[in-house]
Parts: sequence; structure tokens; C-alpha cells
Amino acid sequence: MRRWRTYGFVAAFLAVPLVLYTVFVISPYVQAFQLSLTSWNGYSSVVAYVGLDNFGRLFGDEVFWQALRNHGIMLLTLPVVTIAIALFLAFLLNLGGGPSGDGMRGLWGSRFYRVVFFFPQVLAVAVVGVLFQAIYRPDEVGVINGVLARLGVEPVGWLIEPGLALWSVIAVMVWQGVGFYVVLFSAGMAAIPKDYFEAAALDGAGRVRLFFSITLPLLRDTVQVGWIYLGIAALDGFALIQVLAGDKGEPDGATTILPVTIYNTAFSYQKVGYASAMGVALFFLTVTFAVLTLRTTRRERVEL
Amino acid sequence: MTHPGEITRRGLLRRIGMTAFVAGPGAGLLSACATAGTGGEPAPAPSITASADARNPFGVDAKKPLEVVIFSGGYGDAYARELHQELYKKAFPGVTIEHNATQQIGTQLRPRFVAGDVPDVLNNSGPESMDLAALAAEGHLADLAPLFDAPSIDDPAKRVRDTITPAVIDNAKIDGKDLVLNYTVSHRALWYNAALFASMGWAVPTTWAEFTALGEQAKKEGIALFAYPGQKGPYYQLWNLLYTAAKIGGNQVIIDIDNLAEGAWNAEPVKQAVTAWVEIQAKYGEKSYFGLDHTQTQVKHLRNEVLFYPVGSWIENEMAKDKPDDFEYAIAPIPDVTAADAMPYGAIQVGVGENFVVGAKGENPQGGLEYLRIMLSKEGARGFTERTKNLTVVNGAAEGLDLPAGLMSAARAQDSAGANIITEARFEGWYKELFDYGTAQTNAVMAGRITPERFCADLQEKADAIKDDASVPKQTRSR
Amino acid sequence: MLSGLSHVALAVWALLIIAPLLWTFLASFKNNTEIFGDPLRLPGELRLDAWGRAWDTAHIGQYMLNTVIVVFFGTAGTMVFGSMAAYVLARFSFAGNRLIYYYFVAGLAFPVFLALGPLFFVVRQVGLLNSHAGLVLVYIAYSLPFTVFFLAAFFRTLPEAVAEAAMIDGASHTRTFVQIMVPMARPGLVSITIFNVLGQWNQYLLPLVLLAGDPDKWVLTQGIARISTLAGYEADWPALFAALSITILPVMVVYIVFQRQIQSGLSSGALK
Repeated sequence: MRRWRTYGFVAAFLAVPLVLYTVFVISPYVQAFQLSLTSWNGYSSVVAYVGLDNFGRLFGDEVFWQALRNHGIMLLTLPVVTIAIALFLAFLLNLGGGPSGDGMRGLWGSRFYRVVFFFPQVLAVAVVGVLFQAIYRPDEVGVINGVLARLGVEPVGWLIEPGLALWSVIAVMVWQGVGFYVVLFSAGMAAIPKDYFEAAALDGAGRVRLFFSITLPLLRDTVQVGWIYLGIAALDGFALIQVLAGDKGEPDGATTILPVTIYNTAFSYQKVGYASAMGVALFFLTVTFAVLTLRTTRRERVEL
Repeated sequence: MTHPGEITRRGLLRRIGMTAFVAGPGAGLLSACATAGTGGEPAPAPSITASADARNPFGVDAKKPLEVVIFSGGYGDAYARELHQELYKKAFPGVTIEHNATQQIGTQLRPRFVAGDVPDVLNNSGPESMDLAALAAEGHLADLAPLFDAPSIDDPAKRVRDTITPAVIDNAKIDGKDLVLNYTVSHRALWYNAALFASMGWAVPTTWAEFTALGEQAKKEGIALFAYPGQKGPYYQLWNLLYTAAKIGGNQVIIDIDNLAEGAWNAEPVKQAVTAWVEIQAKYGEKSYFGLDHTQTQVKHLRNEVLFYPVGSWIENEMAKDKPDDFEYAIAPIPDVTAADAMPYGAIQVGVGENFVVGAKGENPQGGLEYLRIMLSKEGARGFTERTKNLTVVNGAAEGLDLPAGLMSAARAQDSAGANIITEARFEGWYKELFDYGTAQTNAVMAGRITPERFCADLQEKADAIKDDASVPKQTRSR
Repeated sequence: MLSGLSHVALAVWALLIIAPLLWTFLASFKNNTEIFGDPLRLPGELRLDAWGRAWDTAHIGQYMLNTVIVVFFGTAGTMVFGSMAAYVLARFSFAGNRLIYYYFVAGLAFPVFLALGPLFFVVRQVGLLNSHAGLVLVYIAYSLPFTVFFLAAFFRTLPEAVAEAAMIDGASHTRTFVQIMVPMARPGLVSITIFNVLGQWNQYLLPLVLLAGDPDKWVLTQGIARISTLAGYEADWPALFAALSITILPVMVVYIVFQRQIQSGLSSGALK
């Protein structure tokens, strides 16, 4: 009896979300997966199946590999840089006051800093993109180049030098993301029992040692969560790159990423089938990344 | 300063309206031949026949609403809302018109076409414009032949096709059928500030040596000889490279490229054109323009930071709001690159543009055709020119209008170009992937990251790949 | 001394955040000549006309209202359905539990634009194209994967004992959920609500396709895109910066008012 009541409850609670999700999310994706096996052009009433041809083509597609390389760079740098800066700032905010009589204390004004740091997170990516276009403008009218001009430095083509463009984009992602992780890590640091620090401080440990020997190891879990979020962000980047660098991966493919390539292939070049195949590849890439990260970090509550 | 072939203002206006595009020797070259597609059988679309009734040749049902989608770009959408749609409402009192203006033609309309829920009139333009050949293959585009054969609103004794420049009919063809109406006429070459030239006592260069000499002089004034907007698709410069190649080697250079002919990109004129412009960029250009968009570059042009800017005659209206009084737009033909250019000095590109199509499977294709007929009336065309300061394909429609200096200079330039009209590159519409790749490579070669030889080889490789790609429907042209 | 250095580092980062935003705000008072001049100079006078143009062309008022409506119902729905599913998946064992959990979580890995085309037809088929209701349902559906993923992890950490006690007292599953589990999960719910509000507020691709046919129903991001394209065609950068400021300001006000809740919600939620 009770068992059945439970099943009824479970079913009742799952019904609506499952239906919504299946109809609006899964069914379109199933169709998209299906399309990856076709040569559909987005208009035609005739849909021709071509089997795995699209996937075979991917291997020989220079643009695809270029995009993968760029994602690789972003996967390596975005999390490391963001987490490093966020950890550093969070440490200063929470423990920067140095060891004192009653344990560690934060810096004066840390509340203000936290509010400011987090703010970019609430801005629409499109807004951030347009904003940074003005900041990165390649002549002296650009904000950064205007500052450089005052210092007598020649304007820098932040988004037009192949060696710089991707880094400029990553910098914006870091700019927007750091605040979130500062808040995340701050909370983690606040949760570390004070006596750990007191004991270490009694031993004469400086702040740098405190950070590496106590804070960092105890934050391991939180850092790993951050790593996953940032990794998924590194595999996206669609809106930002679209606005900042345009949709052709300029300059010279330096900002080519899969989502933008997929969008172009489907909507500019009418190769919906081929684009869907790229999308499927991206899907497996994301899944692989997530599974690998979760596996290696073994976060208990996410069971795999 | 005097312009070549100075003629009286009235005479000129009449010419713009009546002779230049009809009887002018350029008209033949303007036109292009039928395109032959290799796509599948077009799905049958209901065909509409035009009756002799000059007031309502297509049998429009005034009770049926009409949906119009306008690309709201450089021309805005006021001309459609305030003019053409009002004229349509006057012709069919009580009719309702649904007006939609957007910059995202493709994103908004592609799904609707697939779903069969299509607008009656569509201005297919802008960076997201749709592949018309693909739409045509599905029978989505109404045959415009009845429109061209219908009586003209202004003179029922004339057919519409006799009131517009012949290039419209030639450019209307997809897979041999008349499906697209090009509504505007534009002149492309290098644009400059005639007032600045007059005050500095500079002459428009006619040879490459004069061009570079002027570059040295401009450099002393802190002015870049030339700039193009490199951000988000430097297609203005790709056009410029192609037109220069055509000037050196004749229009066949562009026709071969359009036809994906073997080795078309490796042709000597293409290499010469690219090399010449790369040198200009390296010596007299400025690299920051690679990261500026067209309006940013155009504002700097207005501030006399740039002498020559490769663009079309729409620039004058586009920048009207920002143009200082002492700036006078004028067009300069591309200087002679070699002593033996196939086209003499003075050749410019003149072409028709701004696509309008009628949805064949929409609610009201008759209304769509009628709407286009109204656009092609003198009143519709003149009002367009008044509002947008751009010429239409309707003969004589601009007559008596007070046209701005740049447009006048363009008309004069066409006059002196005579038969030497550079053709447009159609692969931009046919093979967008090749065109996009070309624009990216244009930045690479102009910035000196690849050599002109490499540029040609890369584009040839891409063109060959497109040629071998069975999923891309092919088009051809013979002239 | 060291704490002085700390302040320098923090102040530098704060400046990096504030400066671009302040610059945008100031740029909206400039005219085109000033925008094409020295970027570090202040506007010559307080020109408000760009704000008027931005307000009119981007229909900011109407779009703001639309966005508020859609995001309100979208987030509310997401929270109700997301927490229900997450709760059941986290705390009840039944055949297929794992499967359904992964079914939801898999959605995290789908690139949205891949589904855009087919989604259009699905929404059209249920007759909700160009309607806010349709958009709300789609928002809910697309917010479910992360919400379920996050909340399931959260619900698992809640102590068994309280729920068991309630059940023994004869409370139904539903009552236990509403009166005991939800209040206990409050920090997690707050932080995921914030996530969803932000995500849905900033959503661009979905409304672009699903509301295409009816500009009166558009949301703010579409308005921004419109004006940013228009700024390019009409060379009206002051209006572009004004539009950016107009969208940034209300977000900033809401953020400052709620920043305490947002920060504590996020941190306690994310750490569970």
C-alpha cells in the first residue's frame, strides 16, 4: 500500500517535467541527431540519408580541427586562469588581513569588492561583447589603446592579430567569470575552521604558506566544481565570439569555435545535415569532458 | 575641379533616368545571361497570369491581407511602410498589411519557409539573407514573368519590363526562371572627398604611379591613401580586388571565377590585382582598419583620415547624418594597374541589387506581385529615391529629383565609362562559403600574413572543393 | 605592508570591472565626434538625446515588461517542476531512477542552436509559436537539466531523519516535500533560482526563433541586438551605448538590492 502510494507520488512529481523536457528538448535533439545522417539543406522537402558520410567528412575538415584546437586552448587556459585569479582574490578578501589574535580576518572593504567582482556575471553576454568591442578597438579610440597611447605605446590590434585574438576573447570570459568563483571560494574559505589557521600561525606560517598548505587543499572540492562549469563554458563561447570576433573565426581561424562553425554551416551555407553532425561531435566532446572530470575528481554527490 | 564630361544638371538627370540604363552602351554589359542551375525539379507552384486590366492585372483580392518583410539595413524600412504600403492600400481600400522589418532575415524566415508559412513579399538582403536558389528549388518563389509582362501603372500601353533597366530581367533568373526582382542600381569603385581634393589641389589618379605618388603626398598630411573595413567580413575589399582583376584582364576573369572554371583564381590578372593592393596597404594603409567595421571606417573617411574607400553609391545616404558640409562624396574609377589593362581608365562597376521575391506558397501571391508592380511605378520608385537617395531600376523615375553630389558623380562616371562596365561577381550569392572564405583570406593577404600567390592558390583550392561538393547546387553564367 | 599590497591587488581588479561599465555609461552622453576622439576624455556636455533614441528604437519599455513576464513565469515554473523532479530522483529509489536522472542531465551537453530548427516545428505544432506561453514552457524545459542536476545533489545532502520523522507522523509525501524538504533546501533553491533568472534574462537564441513573427512580444536581448545592428547601419554609437546602459542599470539596481541574498544563496548552495 505504502509502496504504491510512493510510486504514485514519484510518478506524479515526474510527469510534468518529463513531458516538458521530452517534448521541447529531447525531441528536437533526436531530430537533430537524425539530421546528422542526412544531407538536408534546411529548405528541401526531400531529406536524403547519407549514413555516416558527414562524420567521415569531419575528419578531413580543416575548420573542424581548427575549432578543436581552439577549444583545447580554451579548455586548458580558461579554468586555470579564472580559478587562479579567483582563488587569489578570495584569499585576499577572506584571509588577507593576516593572522591576528582571533584567527584570520578579511580585509577592510571586502564586502564592497565582492559585490563589484560579481557584477559582470549578471550582464548579458551580448552586452559584454558589445562593450568589449569598444574596449578592444584597434585604433587610439579604443579604451585600452587610448590608455596605451597616453603611455606612448603604439595601438595594439587585440582582436585582429592571429596570435592575440583568442587570448583577448578568453580575457573577457575571465573578466566576466572571476567574480562568481570569488564568491564560491570565499564561502569555501569561510567554512574552514579557524583553529587550523591559528595552529599554523602559531607555527609562524606566513600567508603564502597558509594558502598553499591549508586553504588550497581544503578547497579542492569547490575548485573541482568550478573546473567543470568553466570547462563547459570553454566548449561554448558562442555569443561572445559571435559579437567580438565575428562569425568567420577571424583572424585566420584564430577564433574559430565549434558552435559558431555549426551555426554558419547550417544557416549560412545551408548544410544542416553536416552542421548537425558537428553538433553531435560537440555533444560527445562535452559529455566526454564532463565524465572525465567527474571521474577523475570523484565528487561523491555526483554519482557516476 | 572639373569632372570629365561635365554636362548640364538637367541633362544629367534626364540621363540618369532615361538613357544611361536603357539605351546606354553599358546596359548590355550590365546585363548578364541566363543562369542554368543543376538543381532538381522545382516543385510546382501555382502560376499567376496577368490580365490586361491595368488596374488589377493579377486579380488581387482586396480582402486578403498582405505580409511584407523588409530587411531594415542601410535603406531602413520607412520607404516600404510609408510609401509602397500606403500606395497599395490606396489601390485596395480597406486591405490590411502586415509589415515586418528585421535584420535577421534568415533566422526569422528560414523556419517559416520550411513550415510553408511564408510572407507574400520578402526583401532578401543583409548578412543573413537566404539562399534563393534553395528556395527556388522548393518552388517557394513566385514566377515574376507575369509581373514583367503586366501593364505598367504609369502607362498601361507599356509592359513593366519595358519601363525598367534590362539588367533586372537578366538578373532575375534562377534556373532559367524570372524569380528575383533587383530594385536598386548602384555604382561601385573608390569613393573620395571631392572637396578635400579641390582644396588640396590634388587630381584623381588615373595610373598606379599617380596613385602611389598621391599616397606619398597624403602620407605627409597624415592621411591614409586607402582603407577598407576589415572587421566581420571585409567584402568591400574582396569586391575591389575582383573589380581590379576585371579591369586588368576583362570581365571574363570574374565570369570564370563565378563558373568555378579551372585555375580561375590563379589567373594572372587576379594575382596582379591582389599584389597591387597589398602593396598599397603595406605602404599607405593602416592596420587598425582590419579591426573596424564599415560605419566606423566611414566615419574616419568623413574625418579625412582616409582618401579612398572602396564601396558603392549607397554610402552617401548611409552617412548622410554624419557628413560634414565640407565633405563631398565622389566616385573615382580604379586607376590603371598596368599599361595594358583590358579595360581603359574610367571603368567602374554598375549593377542592380537589393533582392525582392514573392512567396509562391503564401496566402496572397497576387498581392505580392501587385506590390512589386507598385514599387516599380514611377511614384513608388521616385519616392524610394527621395527617401533613400539611391537610384532604382525604374527608367526616368529620378527625373527632376534633387540628387546629392555623390550620385551625380556616379552618373557622370558611368557616362564616361561608356561600354567599360565591370560586371558583378555572382558567386557571392551562389557559393556563400567560397565568398566568406574569400573575405577571410582577403584580410590575411592584405595584412601580409600570406602572399598573393598563396591567396590565389587557397581560393582556387576552396573553389575546387565547392565544385566537387555535390550538395552545393551549381549555377553558371556566360557573360 | 602586505595588507597594503592586498588592497592594491583587489582595487586593481575592481577598477578593471568598474572602468568599462563607467566608460559605457559616459559614452552614452557623447556625440559621434567625441566617440571618435580621445576615449579617456569626458563628454563635453550631458546629452540625453541618445537615451531617448535608444528607448524608442529598442522599445526598451515594452521589451523590459515582456522580459519580466517571461522570466518570472519561466523561473517560477522551472523551480516548481525542477525541484519536484530533483527531489524524487534524489530521495526515492525506484526502477529507472538512474536512467531518468541521466536523461535529464544529458541535456546539459546539448548545444542549443542545434535544436533550434526542429524546436520551431515542435512549438508550432502545439500552437504556441509567437506566444509568451510557448516561450515560458521552452525556457522551463531548457532550464530543467541544470536545475535537476544541481538540486538533486542538494536534496541528497539533506538529513534523512527529519523526513522520516515527518512520514512517521503520517504526513503525506507531498506534505513532507512542501513543508519540510523545501524549507530545508532553501539555500539551494535560492541559488538555482538566481541561476535561472540570470540565464533566462540573458537568453537570446530561443526568443529570436520562437517570437520572430511578433515584434511586440520581443524580449530585451532582441531589442539590444536590434539596436546594435541599427547602430552599425546608422552610425549611431551614442544610442548603442545608451541602450547598453539602459539594460545594465536596472540589472545593477536589482543586483545591489539583492546582492546579500544572491551571494549567500550562491555560496551556500554551491557548497552543499
